[in-house]
Amino acid sequence: MSASAGELRVFADYAGDVREEADVVVVGSGPCGAVVVKELAEAGRRVVLLEEGPPFTPEDFVLDGARSMARTMREGGLRATRGYVMPTLQAICLGGGSLVNSAICVRPPPFVFDAWCEGYELARTTRKDLEPHFDAVSEFLGIAPTPDDVQGPRNLLFRDGCRALGISSEPIARNVRGCRGSGECFTGCRSRAKQSMDLSYVPAALRAGARVLTSVQVQRVRAEGTRALGVEGRVVAPFGGPLGARVRVDARVVVLSAGCMATPVLLQRSGDLANRSGQVGRNLQFHPGAMVTGVFAEPVRPEFGATQGYQSLAFLEEGFKLETFWAPPTALALRMPGMGVPLLRRLAELPRSATWDAILSCHRSLGTVRPRRSGGLDPVITWEFHPDDVPLLGRAASVLADIFAAAGAEKVIPGIHGLPDELPAREAAGILARRTWRATDLVSGSTHAFCTTRMHGDPRRGVVDELGRCHDLDNLYVADTGVFPRCTSVNPMLTGMALAHRTAGAIRDRL
Amino acid sequence: MGSLLALIGLLAAGALAAAGAARFWLGYATAPGCHALARREAAFLDAAAEAMFPPGGPLPSGRAAGVTASLDGYLALVPARMRRLMRLLFALVEHATLVFPAPPPRGRRRFSALSLEQRGAVLDGWRTSPLFPRRLVFTSLRALLTNGYVADPAVLAALGLTPYAVETPVVEADLLYPRIGQPRSAIRHRTVTAPSDGRPLAPDGPRLTGPALEAPR
Repeated sequence: MSASAGELRVFADYAGDVREEADVVVVGSGPCGAVVVKELAEAGRRVVLLEEGPPFTPEDFVLDGARSMARTMREGGLRATRGYVMPTLQAICLGGGSLVNSAICVRPPPFVFDAWCEGYELARTTRKDLEPHFDAVSEFLGIAPTPDDVQGPRNLLFRDGCRALGISSEPIARNVRGCRGSGECFTGCRSRAKQSMDLSYVPAALRAGARVLTSVQVQRVRAEGTRALGVEGRVVAPFGGPLGARVRVDARVVVLSAGCMATPVLLQRSGDLANRSGQVGRNLQFHPGAMVTGVFAEPVRPEFGATQGYQSLAFLEEGFKLETFWAPPTALALRMPGMGVPLLRRLAELPRSATWDAILSCHRSLGTVRPRRSGGLDPVITWEFHPDDVPLLGRAASVLADIFAAAGAEKVIPGIHGLPDELPAREAAGILARRTWRATDLVSGSTHAFCTTRMHGDPRRGVVDELGRCHDLDNLYVADTGVFPRCTSVNPMLTGMALAHRTAGAIRDRL
Repeated sequence: MGSLLALIGLLAAGALAAAGAARFWLGYATAPGCHALARREAAFLDAAAEAMFPPGGPLPSGRAAGVTASLDGYLALVPARMRRLMRLLFALVEHATLVFPAPPPRGRRRFSALSLEQRGAVLDGWRTSPLFPRRLVFTSLRALLTNGYVADPAVLAALGLTPYAVETPVVEADLLYPRIGQPRSAIRHRTVTAPSDGRPLAPDGPRLTGPALEAPR
C-alpha cells in the first residue's frame, strides 16, 4: 500500500491541540472497536478511531515475557483484583489484546446464547441470529483450525491423551495466516502470521478512509440530555508518559470499545453516564483459570508449536473448557512450585513438560469496577469466587491430570497449596478429585472479563440493548465484552467481534 | 536537675531511634550498575535470589544469572504505582525478620544479613504458611525473582528454550507504523515482501543470539 486514503497519527505527530469532526468516533482499537471502524469506514462513514497505546512494529517486540507485558499491558501487566486476589490483564496498544493473545477464535455453542436470551430478555441474540456476523469476521480474518504440522508435541500429546480417554478434542481455530509454530503469540508474532487487529482490520479501515489517532487517552464522553456529543481527552506519551495536547472529537455517534474494564470507568468519569439502571461497572465476570503441568520421560520440546493449538469442549456444559498452553519461559516458570534446589530441578525439567489449562464458567462469581482516585482509565477491580464455583477448580484440574496420565506423563505438578509439589501422574486425578477445595488453594488468573455494561432487554436491569446502544442515550454505543450479559464459556474474542459487527450494521443503517 | 534528666532522656531516645533507623536503613553496600534499585533493595534481591536459586543445582545460581541487575531494568519499566508496591514487598521481607526472627544463631537481623540457610528457612516459612496473604507475599516475590532469573540468556540456553531465529516478512502494516517514539517519516519499509508461508520451523532450528536477546532498559 503506497499511501492510505485515511490517516494515522502517532505520538510524534501531535504539535498542538487536536479538534476533529466525524460521523462516528470509536474509543479503543481492540478486536471489537476495530471491527466497528472498518465496517463503518467501508460503508462510507467518516470515522475517527482513538487508541491510547502506540502501534507496535516487530522491532518493538520484546521476547522476554515480563518486559513484554510491562510494555504492552496496562499497569505494567501487574494488575490484580481485590477480594479474591487474581492477576488479570488488559492490553494498551494498537490492536488491543489481539496483538498479544493466542488468536483463539471459538463460536460458543447455542446453549450459551439460549441462556443469554432467556435470562436477560433478549429476542435476537441466538447463535443462529449471530451466525452471519461470525461468518463475516471469520472470512475476513481467515480463521481456520490449527494444522497438525505446526502443533508440536505439546499440543498433540493433549489430543492423544483425550483420545485414549474417549474425550472429544479438536484443533483450535485461530485468526492466523501462515503460522510457523514459533509459540510467540503472547509477545507479538514475529512471523506476522497472526491477524491481529493492527495487521488486519485497522489497515483495512485506513484504506477505506478512517482516521486513526494513537496515543490519545479519552477522559470524558461529552453529552447533553439523551445525546452524546463526542469525546475529550489528551495526547499521552507511550508507556504512561506525561499527558500532552488536548483532543476533542465531535461526532454524531459515539462507540465505546475501551474494554470491559475501561469502558465503565469512562462512563463513570463522564458524570455516571448511561447509568440510570445502576448497572455500569457491576456484574463483572471472569473465566478464572486452573493450570496443571505434566512432566514426561522424553523431551517434549514445548517451545515449538502453536501457542495454544488444541482444546476440548467436552465439559462446557459442566462449566469448563480445556486447552493447551505455552507462554514465554519467564511466565511459564512461575508455574513451578517450591524454591531452592528443588525449584531448579523442576525448571530444568521444563523441556520435558507440557502445561494445559482449564477456563471456568463462573457466572455466579461477580465483581465490580470503579475509577481510581488517581485518575486515568485504570480501575479498582473487586471480585470474589462464589463458593458454588470453587469445586470447578478441582474437577477441571482432576480431568487435566487424567489426560496427562493417559498421554504418558510420569508426574504432574498441580500447583495447589497443601498438596505435594509433584504427584505421580497415575494417582494425581484421584487425589485432586477427592480434595475439598478452597479458592485460596491456588493463585488463579484470567484474561477474559465480561458484563460490566451488560445488555438486557429491560432498561432497568442493563446498560445497553441487543444492538449495543445505551438505553439512556440514543447515540451512544458500547462494543466490547462488557456488553455480554453472561460469560461465554469459551474464549470471548470472536463473540465480541460478531456482536460488534452487528452493532456496526445498526449504526450504518441509522446514519 | 529535672531539665538535665529530660535532656538525657531525649538524647537516649534519639540514640535509640537512630540505632533503630540504622538497623533498618543503613549499612548496605553500594550497588554498582543499579539505577532504579536503592542499595538496600539491591542487597535484599541479591540475598533473596541466592536463596531462591542457590549454587550447586542443575542450573546457574541466582547471583550468576544476574537477577538483581535484571530486576533493576524491569523496575524502571513498570508504572510508578506498581514500583511502589514492589518496593513495599522488598522492604517487608527484608525487615520482617527483625520482628519475627529467623532460626538461630542471631536470627533477629535483616534478611540480607542472614546466612544462606537462614534465608532459605525464612522464605520457606512464607511459602508454606497457612495464611493466604503470607503465601501471596512469597508467590509475588518468587514471580519477580523468577522473571529476572529466566530472562538471563545463559539460563534460557541451559534450558534449551532460547527463542527461534524467525524470518519477519514485511506486511502492509509495516508500511504504516513507525517504531514507537519515532515519526512516520522514520518508517523504513516501502514495499511488502512475501508473507509467511506456514512452513513449520525446525524444532532444532537456529536460535537467536546476541543483542536480540537482551532486555531493553
